[in-house]
Amino acid sequence: MNSTKALISAALFATVSFTAGCDTQPVKANACIPPQGYDLDVAVSQSKSDLSDVCSFQFDAYLERLMNIAESDPKPANKEKFSEFLLWSNQAGLLSKQQAKSIYNRYFNVKYVSLMGDYNNCSLTCPKQQEVLANMERELLDKERGLVKISRDTSSYQRADRLLKETELVLEATCTACGAN
Amino acid sequence: MSTPSKFNLSDSTGLQLFSALVIAWMLLFAIPTQAANTPTLKLFPTTVLEDIRHTGSVAKEMESGLQEVISRLDQQQQLIIDSKCEEADDDPGCAQLNKQLGATYLEMLNIMESNLPTMEQAVETTRKSLAKRLRKELGNGMTPWTLQENLLGGQSGKQAAQTRPSLRGRSGMRLSDRFSQYYKLVSNSSSSQGSSMAVIASDIYLDMEETADLIARTRQEISRATLMGQLNQSFGVITPEMQEVVSGVKAILFGDPESEMPIAAPPTTADSTAYQSPLSL
Repeated sequence: MNSTKALISAALFATVSFTAGCDTQPVKANACIPPQGYDLDVAVSQSKSDLSDVCSFQFDAYLERLMNIAESDPKPANKEKFSEFLLWSNQAGLLSKQQAKSIYNRYFNVKYVSLMGDYNNCSLTCPKQQEVLANMERELLDKERGLVKISRDTSSYQRADRLLKETELVLEATCTACGAN
Repeated sequence: MSTPSKFNLSDSTGLQLFSALVIAWMLLFAIPTQAANTPTLKLFPTTVLEDIRHTGSVAKEMESGLQEVISRLDQQQQLIIDSKCEEADDDPGCAQLNKQLGATYLEMLNIMESNLPTMEQAVETTRKSLAKRLRKELGNGMTPWTLQENLLGGQSGKQAAQTRPSLRGRSGMRLSDRFSQYYKLVSNSSSSQGSSMAVIASDIYLDMEETADLIARTRQEISRATLMGQLNQSFGVITPEMQEVVSGVKAILFGDPESEMPIAAPPTTADSTAYQSPLSL
């Protein structure tokens, strides 16, 4: 009789323990919701906490949300906050150094990550000149977001805009010259 | 037995001398290496400058010969429009006006025919020399990344960016004036302004391409018009093709104010106190 009671108690304990163990998982899954509110510092802090745990697969959504929050309070200091966040993401193993650089420069630098490469322009850029320029135009939209809407840095945006126009002109001439052997 | 000293006094002096030489050697080569980060463009050697100057002189001669006849052509065309001759084919007065217009058009073609070979030669020479420089310096000598660094004036090129000349574009002024301006821009600019030189060189080169194309089309039109003249002795109403040639000649020689657009005004210089991320490229 006693042994039956002990067996039932053990089964109950096991069931309760198992159920309680399952309880923690949905809480973690629900936590992978990008931060709300309008305070970028708080949002960055929460994002770091979530992303360093089980939510790393949601990195893009978190970054997008942080950008939305920053857009609601644009200021030059935001550029540094995103730089620090991306550096942290690299150190936390969420992004490679190259990915962090690519994201930062795409949004917050005058120079275009779409215009990169290790070979000369005649052999690398000219064969896909239109594709490169189309990518630069898309990147300019991201720069508008990063530089103007988030960082309120219109002069850098204007430089980026002019750089695109000058690149278009110079590439047209250079690529014509490359083909005029 | 004591271990012999590795260096005696004379060895030590030799080592010091050697170290000094190494340091001097390093300093000597360190300076050009730093400068090499912002490569100097050699887009406008003396030969290219001379080609540009010569093309400007040839253009000026051609303009002075054509100005009067093109002005007359405009007046005659306006008279035909004002007289509503387009709807009165049988009117003898209109026929006379059309004949005069055709004759003036032929006159313009004849003047161009006598000037075009020299102009064509000058444009072609400038175009070829610029193509060679662009291909060598920007096409084969740079990666996409170094090209954009150059256009931005390099990391430390803020001062150069402030002193960049502005270029007004390929249209909107006389061809000879354009070349005169190109010549001044290029000859007065130092090699440190490599970024704007790339834009100016590209602009002049594309201008040469358009001019060469117009010259080729005009020469074809001259051949066609001469044949027509031999067949009909008269052109009658000016055709759309003729109108296109006249417009093209006017635009390239005397400018087209409506299409004025600045191409390379100096960009806003970045704030030196702005945040620099360690992720910045």
